[in-house]
Amino acid sequence: MKPSDAALARKPAPAKGPGGYPGESEELISGSEAVAHACRLADVDVITAYPIRPYDTVMQFVSQMISNGDFDCEYIIAESEHSQFEIVKHASAVGARVFAGSSGVGWLYAFEALAVTAGLRLPLVAMVGNRALDDPGAFGVEHNDALAVRDLGWLLAWVETAQEALDTALIAYRVAEDHRVLLPCALSCDGNFLTHSQSIVKVPSKAMVERFLPPYDRAERLLHPDNPITVAPQVNEDWLMEIRRQNDMGMRRARDVISEAYAEFNGVFGRGGEPFIERYMMDDAEIALVGMGTLAMPVKVAVRKMRAQGRKVGFVRVRWFRPFPTVELQQALAGVQAVGVIDRDYGFGSAFHSGVLANELRAALYPLERRPRVVSLVAGLGGREVSTDNVMAIADRVFDAASGKAANDQETYWIGVRE
Amino acid sequence: MTTIRSESNGSSVAPQALEPWKTVKKIVPDEFYTSGHRTCQGCDSALAMRLMIKAAGPRTIVLGSTGCMYVANTTYYSTPWVVPWMHTQLGSSGSAATGTAAGLKALMRKGKMTQEPINVIAVCGDGGGADMGLSAISAALQHTEYNLLILMYDNESYANTDIQVSGSSPYGANSTFTPPGKVHRIMQRHWKKNTAGMLAVGHPECRYVATVSPSYALDMMNKVRRALSIGGPTFIHALDPCPKGWDYDPKYSHELGELSVECGIWPLFEIEDGTLKMSGRTKQILAGTYKRKAVRDYLLRQGRFAHFKEEDIAYFQAKTDEVWEKWLYPGVIPFSAA
Amino acid sequence: MSTGSIEVVYRGVFQKTLAKNICRGVVLAARKEGKIGIAFGRYGDSPERNGIPAKQFAVVSDTEEELEEFLARYEPDHNDVTIVADDTLCKGVESWAWSGLQPVHKLLKSGGTLLVTSAQPHAELLHDIHRKGSPYQLAIVKSKSSFSGMFVYRNDHTDVRILGALASVAPHIVSLDSMVAAIRDQWKDDLKVASAKRTYDLVKQIPVAADEGSTADLYSFDLPGWTEMQEGLVIRGIPARQQVPGWDGGFVPGRNPKFKKFSTRTLRPVINFDTCTKCTLCWLQCPDTAFDVAPDGHYDANLEACCGCGVCEAVCPVAECITMINEEAFEDNNSQWQMWAKDAKGYAAWLGKKVAKRSARSHGFHHVGLYQKEIANEAV
Repeated sequence: MKPSDAALARKPAPAKGPGGYPGESEELISGSEAVAHACRLADVDVITAYPIRPYDTVMQFVSQMISNGDFDCEYIIAESEHSQFEIVKHASAVGARVFAGSSGVGWLYAFEALAVTAGLRLPLVAMVGNRALDDPGAFGVEHNDALAVRDLGWLLAWVETAQEALDTALIAYRVAEDHRVLLPCALSCDGNFLTHSQSIVKVPSKAMVERFLPPYDRAERLLHPDNPITVAPQVNEDWLMEIRRQNDMGMRRARDVISEAYAEFNGVFGRGGEPFIERYMMDDAEIALVGMGTLAMPVKVAVRKMRAQGRKVGFVRVRWFRPFPTVELQQALAGVQAVGVIDRDYGFGSAFHSGVLANELRAALYPLERRPRVVSLVAGLGGREVSTDNVMAIADRVFDAASGKAANDQETYWIGVRE
Repeated sequence: MTTIRSESNGSSVAPQALEPWKTVKKIVPDEFYTSGHRTCQGCDSALAMRLMIKAAGPRTIVLGSTGCMYVANTTYYSTPWVVPWMHTQLGSSGSAATGTAAGLKALMRKGKMTQEPINVIAVCGDGGGADMGLSAISAALQHTEYNLLILMYDNESYANTDIQVSGSSPYGANSTFTPPGKVHRIMQRHWKKNTAGMLAVGHPECRYVATVSPSYALDMMNKVRRALSIGGPTFIHALDPCPKGWDYDPKYSHELGELSVECGIWPLFEIEDGTLKMSGRTKQILAGTYKRKAVRDYLLRQGRFAHFKEEDIAYFQAKTDEVWEKWLYPGVIPFSAA
Repeated sequence: MSTGSIEVVYRGVFQKTLAKNICRGVVLAARKEGKIGIAFGRYGDSPERNGIPAKQFAVVSDTEEELEEFLARYEPDHNDVTIVADDTLCKGVESWAWSGLQPVHKLLKSGGTLLVTSAQPHAELLHDIHRKGSPYQLAIVKSKSSFSGMFVYRNDHTDVRILGALASVAPHIVSLDSMVAAIRDQWKDDLKVASAKRTYDLVKQIPVAADEGSTADLYSFDLPGWTEMQEGLVIRGIPARQQVPGWDGGFVPGRNPKFKKFSTRTLRPVINFDTCTKCTLCWLQCPDTAFDVAPDGHYDANLEACCGCGVCEAVCPVAECITMINEEAFEDNNSQWQMWAKDAKGYAAWLGKKVAKRSARSHGFHHVGLYQKEIANEAV
């Protein structure tokens, strides 16, 4: 079965890709469906599903592709998220390319499995349909779910569009499975705005993807009777620091591997952009706004409006949270006077009561000789819309900080909350 | 009983055909779980590991969930395993077996790995199996498209963490979470969970469920071989005397294993394709050719019951008698028809 | 201003309560003198397994500041006294807490006292104890090893006897008066106080020179660094079998070279190959895969792998074919089958002597009430 050929056969004559390969088709699909296509194109071997909104839409598309014969993989409906992630972890250990996903408290129900997957250096790619954590039950986007694994050795990417979701999923496999890295990767897609919204997406052919993504080869770590190894034996205090150091190095090496992957992706597909961050109207910017995910959309609109008014504001979208783009952010932000970090998450009790991204960014900018003021903002929690007006109000505060009018960098502002 | 199979998910490699060993003399000398684990002297769960993998052979992958057979078995620098072995989380034996079998199946079907029947066995203790991992085991036993065996080595406590009571602990047993005290002599008040029976009854498409005791080595090994040969997900429940947690001289491991069966505390059976067969001594008790021993002989040999008074022994005996006299099938179905 | 530290080396689980009583006793007794102290187990041993060499410590100081040096540590490395609760530990100790076989007095400071519970005389013990390289004192509490289990404690006064002896060999750490006061507080039992005092009077130290003692093999391993370790928590499995010269036609399983387990053993099986029927039971029922299959089909207990559980003796259907004998009677781990194959008569004589001279040894709980009966029969 060649699902890509079958899919292409139903389409009008495909355009040629940049390398002259059988080209892409255009589809009107959601972010979830885009990720499902990435799974098909990456020829994933084992997928596990468990229902929770909003990520579960990806599994609805995966299962339909399988039942239609467009995609061949072992598809297991687990009895909990914990099992869902344990199953793919073990399938990965015997050499299978694997995919799973979750949202909100479902992701946390799997937390033990998530921790060991990173510890075991198994390159699972998972989609997180970002969702607020219970209680109360809520289904709108917040980033705290995916951010919960930020220190465990997971690669973390946030995307803005369905196209970027598909592309980043393919990049994620390439990076995660690289022997210099061997770490799981979570692809964060904002619930609703991305998971449930359909847009025109270029779906590449399998041949193009094969050119970009080599097969998963676990080599001497393969759990197989021909390679009798013992995996993850118990350790005492004589061993764990060395093992943690190995994981640390895997994450450090991921930087180069991600850069290489984007260069290659741009070559094969003619898109992909800059690794780690996206710079939007940053040339000559006096202040910068920083955020992740679909938040970028209203922010970009507001930036254009403000630019039209002659206000020198730019935007930096963080695409990879782990490894944290410390160097890129230092370079991008060293020239501005103030930075407004818009967190779609919370960090109760943290420094300045800021969100996770704001504090991480503060730490990254601290060593700069001339560092911008950092204004911390929390917005859009629980899936609340962030409006263009919200962003303009945010920018006002950041401009105030830049001009030294107010010590706005000592507080965290909640934007769009009813008093 | 004929089993009707639903449409399977693509091509599948038939399981290994492991014929039963007729006598102990037929048992191969090869060892796949060898010396150098750190278990207690006389550890019957270690013996269960050894017999299990001896029966399964070299083309096997073993997944070990957290517990004694993880922590005491493997040390970073070294291992007792000859076959490939991987750790899995405490409640994950079902998921580990499913994931491993699914990975192998996908890779073989898609031509990414040489086709060959590879046994997949996940082991868990009673804490990992009868308590935390029950839902994952239940799920695994519903995945009829995968060939796998889950072996629960039941030493009747969370032994690895220093002996805490589990759902599989016997009534009244001393444990570090249920110590007898000045006011409460009995802190562990539940009757042992009926895990094998529950799983057999609850998963009608699971083709093989059995109980074993490492003290009856040949019976145990042949049940493992049967479970691996029959195909689909299967479950074996081993009761393993634990010299540390049961508090006895390690040399009595074998004898206490036999006693557990002879007292009727541990009925040996196998359920294959919906047919129940009692085994060995249990079969003789049922047939009336062997007289069930009193549980007293068993209880007084173990320090974990040293606080028992006569009334506790009598209660234990009465509950055990119920298993034989009131249950629809002793040790399997704990009720009778009206 | 001073600090004293005590190490108790003991058999896991069997002597856990005993070791705890000793360490707590030291700290509580020192408290009577206004000192401050801590008692703790070697965490790396936990959860300890039956028979495994394990360690607990007691540290007492004049001031809290002095004590801080010993806090948040696994083990004090220069102890004033190393108490050995079972004399077969003198052959060396291997545990999960460290890599390799260590001498029992590794953590004893130069000039300190090695206090051993044993029925053996000094000279016999020095056959087993490794050469230390610095002088120390050897003291013996004349007694069989006291073994109990997880839940039922064999209250045979070994704990207070060792505490009494300790007051004698290390009065700078705690005096007899303080020890007696602490014992009285703890147990409210005059007999236990009497046991402690009696042992205080009886115990004697003899000096051991730096080069005195056994030169038997010890082994250790260098721990690899993170660049040498395989990433992904992967280590290689054990090879299925070993090719051993002279064993063609037999079967010697591959074995974990990094953990041999024999230092867990207090009793070893000796096998009468003349009466053995090759029934397979000892081999089949061994949890430690410790039996090699000899070329002639006999089963030979590999004494580097055997941890002495005694199941083989229990399952053997032939009377006195396998006998468990106190480990103190042996000086090496050589193959019995090879000895027998070379000289059957000589082996029979050796075996007969070992069996005839064997001394009884407690090895855990047998039956409700048996400890009490045994203790009543022992003169306390």
